[in-house]
Amino acid sequence: MAAYAQHSNRKPKRKKRIYHRRKVCRFCADTSLVINYKDPKALKYFLTERGKIIPRRISGSCAKHQRALTHAIKRARTIALLPYVGSVELH
Amino acid sequence: MRRYETIIILDPDLSAEKREPVLKRVQDVIEQQGDYLVLIDDWGSRKLAYEIKKKERGYYVRFDFCGTAAVVDEIERFFRIDDRVLKFMTVLLDKIVDIEKIKEEVAAAEKKAEVLEKKLEPSEVKTPEAQVKPAEKETPEEQTKPSEIETPEAQAKPPEKETPEEQAKPSEIETPEAQAKPPEKEPPEEQAKPSEIETPEAQAKPSEKETPQEQAKPSEIETPEAQAKPSEKETPEEQAKPSELETSEQQADLSETQTIEPEGNKADNISTETKEETK
Repeated sequence: MAAYAQHSNRKPKRKKRIYHRRKVCRFCADTSLVINYKDPKALKYFLTERGKIIPRRISGSCAKHQRALTHAIKRARTIALLPYVGSVELH
Repeated sequence: MRRYETIIILDPDLSAEKREPVLKRVQDVIEQQGDYLVLIDDWGSRKLAYEIKKKERGYYVRFDFCGTAAVVDEIERFFRIDDRVLKFMTVLLDKIVDIEKIKEEVAAAEKKAEVLEKKLEPSEVKTPEAQVKPAEKETPEEQTKPSEIETPEAQAKPPEKETPEEQAKPSEIETPEAQAKPPEKEPPEEQAKPSEIETPEAQAKPSEKETPQEQAKPSEIETPEAQAKPSEKETPEEQAKPSELETSEQQADLSETQTIEPEGNKADNISTETKEETK
């Protein structure tokens, strides 16, 4: 019985998780921000400490700007402004 | 005609004289094809994000040019052969380009640079003004260059007593630019701040969410036994979420663990059920 009660309670829990944490796309909020692969400092915010690109569901950016971001980050990696793996100190 | 941008990383150990032929070669190639080199942007030596050919640092140079695919092919072929170039990347900026417009822009930029140089020289000569200006230059130099242009010009030129024609022209050129640019350059500073502000918000929100969830669930659950168990389970999970936001490394670990957890729970449930059955 106890196991069954747990199971029934779990469903509403999942539903409630859907609507919280309303994040706003930074680049939509401030249109003067430009995504540029030559500016590794700005792009660094969207990388994890390990150098992975932070997913949209966590950074909150919109699809359009996330696409531009990934593009810029990948370009910056190609030309050694950002790391493929690991962290880098930007001065 | 397309506008391209090529960034190359040169060997940092090369001296300036040895670096020069590489740049010269690129320039020649572009001009041979009848294309237009807009500018050579010298970033200088900077640390690489990863080692290239066992080198920690690299000398970055950016070429901005208008041309066709043939030029890009030729330049890149040269970079591949030349071992002074550690790495290169060409990016397409514009598919259709009006060369006349770009030339005008470049000419305007050059004039501005000339005017800047002119003002710097007299400021060094005149002691009273020179005392005031260096202090001004040090701080705004990196942020807003146009603002520099306005102030020294107004101060420096009247005492110089140059011919009125010379005075008039640069001032005409500068004012529209000077007015236009500072507002463009200032915003980036403001932009940076909101980005910093967002993080505390993100941190703040999860804490808000915890309360409604906790309030809602106990009310739904009727049996006292059931109340106790979910509440125990909720708290560790909810604590885990805010930490997701802060460090992304932990996210990966958590996401892995989260995926595993439900399976483990199911397994436990099944095992408990089976035990009950056996009993």
